[in-house]
Amino acid sequence: MTGADKQRLRQVRAAILGDRPDTSRNDTLYPVYVAVIGAGAYGIPAAQQLFRSLDGKWLAAHAWTPVGAIVVVSVAALLLALVPMVGRVHGPVVPPLPYLELVVASPMPRKVTLARNWRLSLGGSIIGGLLVGAVGGGGLAIAKVAPPVALLPATAAGGLFGVLVAELWLQGQMHASPLGLRPESLLPRGRRNALALLDITGLKRQAASNATIGGAVLAGDLRTVRLDAARPATHARHVRLRASGPLVVIARRDLLGLRRAPWSALYGLGFAAAGSAGLMLSLQSPRTPTVAPLVSLIVAYLGFGALCEGLRLHADNSGTSRLLGLAYRDTALAHLVVPMSAWALSALIVNAGLSLAGLVRPAAFVWALGAGALLAGSHLMASFRGLPPIGVFGPRAGVPAMVFWYAKPLLATLVVGTATTAWAARIAAPWVAFSWLLVLTAGVVTWGLVLVDKRDRRS
Amino acid sequence: MLGRRGPAAPDVHGPDLRGSAGHVLRAAGVGKKIDEAVLLLPTDVELAATECVVLRGPNGSGKTTLLRILAGTLSPSEGEATLDGSHVDERHESTRTAIAALIGAPATYRDLTLVDHLVLIDSTWGRVGQHADDHADEILELLEIDHLAERFPHELSSGQQQLFHLAMVLVRPSSILVLDEPEQRLDPDKRDLLTRILLDRKTDGSGLLIACHDPAMTGALADTVVDIQSA
Repeated sequence: MTGADKQRLRQVRAAILGDRPDTSRNDTLYPVYVAVIGAGAYGIPAAQQLFRSLDGKWLAAHAWTPVGAIVVVSVAALLLALVPMVGRVHGPVVPPLPYLELVVASPMPRKVTLARNWRLSLGGSIIGGLLVGAVGGGGLAIAKVAPPVALLPATAAGGLFGVLVAELWLQGQMHASPLGLRPESLLPRGRRNALALLDITGLKRQAASNATIGGAVLAGDLRTVRLDAARPATHARHVRLRASGPLVVIARRDLLGLRRAPWSALYGLGFAAAGSAGLMLSLQSPRTPTVAPLVSLIVAYLGFGALCEGLRLHADNSGTSRLLGLAYRDTALAHLVVPMSAWALSALIVNAGLSLAGLVRPAAFVWALGAGALLAGSHLMASFRGLPPIGVFGPRAGVPAMVFWYAKPLLATLVVGTATTAWAARIAAPWVAFSWLLVLTAGVVTWGLVLVDKRDRRS
Repeated sequence: MLGRRGPAAPDVHGPDLRGSAGHVLRAAGVGKKIDEAVLLLPTDVELAATECVVLRGPNGSGKTTLLRILAGTLSPSEGEATLDGSHVDERHESTRTAIAALIGAPATYRDLTLVDHLVLIDSTWGRVGQHADDHADEILELLEIDHLAERFPHELSSGQQQLFHLAMVLVRPSSILVLDEPEQRLDPDKRDLLTRILLDRKTDGSGLLIACHDPAMTGALADTVVDIQSA
């Protein structure tokens, strides 16, 4: 960066600010101040409480062994592997659109015009890493899992983790460039010049997406967030949808959709298998803690949801010209065929494996089927809930009200599923609990169908 | 030619498509107000089979509003819109069966290709097997976008999007086509092509209700021109 470049950028910033005072330094430092206070006041007490509740003695015995180190490094590597994916959707260098149009698009070097945004993200990552390390180290020390001196290496490791996150984040953004990363002779060399590889189209797309997602989050419109963040399908374009009866073709559509989103299908099947396994295992002993079916249902809800993309797309399409020859509600129900079948199949395979190992009874599969119907009902609710009511944005409501409104389908699943599963594990006649599971599931499905009909009437 | 069919009898492989029903779509003094804002002044329109009514008027005169009302997706605040004497309501199966509307961009599935969309729509209207596949290919060929069959909607230009949206409407069976500025974003050759396709549909018995700003298309298609006055 030459002195002349710096001078020009200062002039640009002065022109943007006009008569207003430059508050950027305070605007940057204030979140850091809040984060440090929050980490000290809430983070460290929560961390030490967590380590104590996880059996501090067991942790102290295992955390400092080679296996413990491998686990920690593996988790860190897994998290770092996810960072470039985030960068593809939302990178660390995303200035506002007007700045992109008027300044970044100018002949000024991009490493100059984008440097400030990169420094902010890099600094934020490092400070975040340092705080996470300090909170973890402090929690370990206070819980007596590690000596107090562990605070220093934990904080340093957190800082290093923050640097790696920032670098991989930027790499992800660079790889999302529509121009690709072919070396161009006109581009200057050097690691810092990575900013020069960010093209204006990619930057504008991320900035526009940033504005859309930001606005959607403020408006509580998770649907827009989901559609904006989704990667467009490009897989298996040569596979054709096979024509068949009106209902069957909807199921075939969903199967084709999953084939074109293989990671989503794998994730859905994996989580469905894990969730159904947890549920069936939770039934086997009255001593099973209630948290076991609760966690299993959360995992199952996520897995089932990954298989419900067709259902969500049907809900997204309401309000536009209708071209399908099926009734709105029938189409919604047809979209449940694939997720229900996938859930039943994965539960059947898991049940067979666990039964052969003597861990569950074959009849536990019936329970998994009932839970599948509950998940279908809650995903009907989730897909067709629409936008939150105006009251959620009122001054007396706030964020908790919006979170509660969005979490209703998940809460319905957790309350009904956890209560009946825990009850079934503790009584001699589990069919009584199963009957209640079916009755309450019918209520959840009816609730979902009411929302479908409501959307149908509005569109 | 759009009317070409697969070799099997339509009764076996799905409903026959269009033209024979002879529906009458009528707007009698239909107007639309929202509070004090007048979207559409009271207007009369009547459309029968093998006829084409073209709506003309400046931007904001209420052409799209009238199309929405006659497609049964919006209720008028005065007057009455009827299909064969009954209230037009898109939620009624009889309305959906008779009227295929392209008013604004229809919804598409981001994980389906163009040909998949057409097969899906055709299947939900009862056409099965090879006939739906062949019909989807025919429609794409008819609109000269068969080379785009395996593209996803987000991979199309704006003109190609418009042709794809027209294909989605033309592929489903209907007796009445309601189209809002179908010529938009099309080049002159494609406008000529669309005009020929719509003339064929009219000859085959469909009624056409179109809002159009293209004088050549209007001249070639219109039996009746309704000039909508600005509110």
